[in-house]
Amino acid sequence: MRGCRYLLLCVLVGVLALGWCQGELNKDLVNKKIERKVDITSQVVKIATKITLENSGAAPVKSFLVALTPEEKEKLSSIIVQSGGSVLKIRETKVDEQPDVAFYKVDLREPLNPSKTVNVDVEYILTHILEPYPASIQQGEKQLVKYSGNHYVLSPYPTTTQTTTVAVPSPNIESYSRLKPTAHTDTSITYGPYESVAAFSEDAMSIHYENNSPFLTVTRLERMIEVSHWGNIAVEETIDVLHNGASLKGPFSRYDYQREHNSYSSIKSFKTIIPASAKDVYYRDEIGNISTSHMRIQDDAVELDLRPRFPLFGGWKTHYKIGYNVPSYEYLYSSGDEYLLKLRIIDHVFDDMTIDELLLTIILPEGVRNIKLETPYPVERLADTLHYTYLDTVGRPVVSLTKKNMVEAHIQDLSLHYRFPSLLMLQEPLLVVLAFFLLFLMVILYVRLDLTLSKDEATESKMRVSSHCEQVHTHHEKRARLYEKLEEEIHKLKSSKDVAQSQTTTKKIQASIKDETQFINDLVGKIRADSTDYADKVAELQKVDKALRECVVQQLTNVEKLVSGKMSKQQYMDTDNPLHRKKEEALERIKSLLSAI
Amino acid sequence: MVGLESMSRYVSPVNPAIYPHLTLVLMSIGVLFTAWFFVYEVTSTKLTRDFFKECLIALVASIMARMNRYIRCFCIPVYTVSLK
Repeated sequence: MRGCRYLLLCVLVGVLALGWCQGELNKDLVNKKIERKVDITSQVVKIATKITLENSGAAPVKSFLVALTPEEKEKLSSIIVQSGGSVLKIRETKVDEQPDVAFYKVDLREPLNPSKTVNVDVEYILTHILEPYPASIQQGEKQLVKYSGNHYVLSPYPTTTQTTTVAVPSPNIESYSRLKPTAHTDTSITYGPYESVAAFSEDAMSIHYENNSPFLTVTRLERMIEVSHWGNIAVEETIDVLHNGASLKGPFSRYDYQREHNSYSSIKSFKTIIPASAKDVYYRDEIGNISTSHMRIQDDAVELDLRPRFPLFGGWKTHYKIGYNVPSYEYLYSSGDEYLLKLRIIDHVFDDMTIDELLLTIILPEGVRNIKLETPYPVERLADTLHYTYLDTVGRPVVSLTKKNMVEAHIQDLSLHYRFPSLLMLQEPLLVVLAFFLLFLMVILYVRLDLTLSKDEATESKMRVSSHCEQVHTHHEKRARLYEKLEEEIHKLKSSKDVAQSQTTTKKIQASIKDETQFINDLVGKIRADSTDYADKVAELQKVDKALRECVVQQLTNVEKLVSGKMSKQQYMDTDNPLHRKKEEALERIKSLLSAI
Repeated sequence: MVGLESMSRYVSPVNPAIYPHLTLVLMSIGVLFTAWFFVYEVTSTKLTRDFFKECLIALVASIMARMNRYIRCFCIPVYTVSLK
């Protein structure tokens, strides 16, 4: 018998020791004071609990547990535990003694020493926990919902004193459970204070009240983000919205709806807030633009007043798209070829929103490598895929992730690290340039194609003559420019009086003139083969040019003589004047000849 | 992996604000060169045309006109979602 007892003791100690090892249920902790605020004014239930924890044991405590009922756990969307302004680390855990209760283990910032206290704030949001009761109402009827909770704060530790305040949207309350002391004012019900509550105390609370706030649920949100390194980030959200309040019973009368303002729970419009830098905003569905919308640009955000094509009653749903562009410099950071994209996983859709399912896809530029995703809360990352749009060759990498049951608390930034060689940006424009250049090349090729069966000598010879004449023009133009240069030199010589210096340059110019003249002479021979008429004209041109050249050369020698003192000023004037006249005549003649060629 | 602290805000090579103006300038140059190219092709004979001159004009025309087309995709909201 005694042996048996020892065995039992051993097992008990063993179990206890195991419990201690896990460090899960600490019997030393006591909730000195709990103040709970339950906000049931909207479609989501926000519960904020202020706990003053005391360590009544002898050893310092590093962590504590937060407990939720299975119903709450099922509807839980987000939970945050704070202490002294900083967010504490939290993770889900299990306690063998209470298999039904959901536990969260919270690590304290610094160990709680014996007989010391610490204040912690536990905030969590529950969705779809308010039950419309009755489940269906007629148009014009008010919406009543039922909230079921717990009079006591579920805690794994005994509580010295606790109070619960429930905020309700209006004084219209059908019924509420009472656990003395209970007080009811206009928009709040106070339960407690309850003294010396044992650990894991439960007592069903039920409030049946009027709640006409919008019961809108985004059943599916597909958020697509397309990043371009040319400076733009395109965001498009495809949204499925369901009114999940009390469903509409009986017919819908548009007449009554317009005439009487008694459609309490129906939704006419709602507000969406998008980033302040958003541009090119659109609101459309399968048919096209939904014109019943307004956009207000404010200092810190852009506010969209969206009105669906029809009012939403209970059970009705709608589907639409919202899209806009934001500049990339607000969300993209870089260091060399390393990039970091930091933007919101979800954005505001409407106040007190609930999103049942999110699918976020981020389309990155072509050629992105080493993608690394960091999220502030756990999400399910799907396999990376490829996306093809215009001018894509290997496809753009797409990062997708999904998450269920989200609320406003989930509007947080994600970080996406990746590597992208910036030269790859030029790939797409160059592709277009190349395509267009090929088109030009085809034209170049086409004009070179000669598809004639027999040669037409007459046109051929005409073509040759015109081509040669064109060359005569170019060579003559060059020659004319050289004459100008030569005259400039003559002027210079008059002032500098440096004959030797001038001679070297003038000789060079004269040699070039001779070359050009020779070119034209060669052309005369070529032209004569096709047309003697044109050849004669070019020969005439050459003759006049010869006279011109002689004049200019004579002018040059005269100036040289004048400068070196071999000629008097009067003599120079006498010889230069007729030369000048002759030159003018020659130029006139050349002009008329050139126009005939 | 480089941390955010050592990174700077990413600025695109061309300021998105000047895209409309840039488009206009590039388009004018592009149209000019395209016109020159075709005028040249039509007026020159097989004896006078110069392959390198043709190629050069064609290259400038294609770069200007097509860069413009590519950039214009940013300015027209309809295309912005799918074309970048």
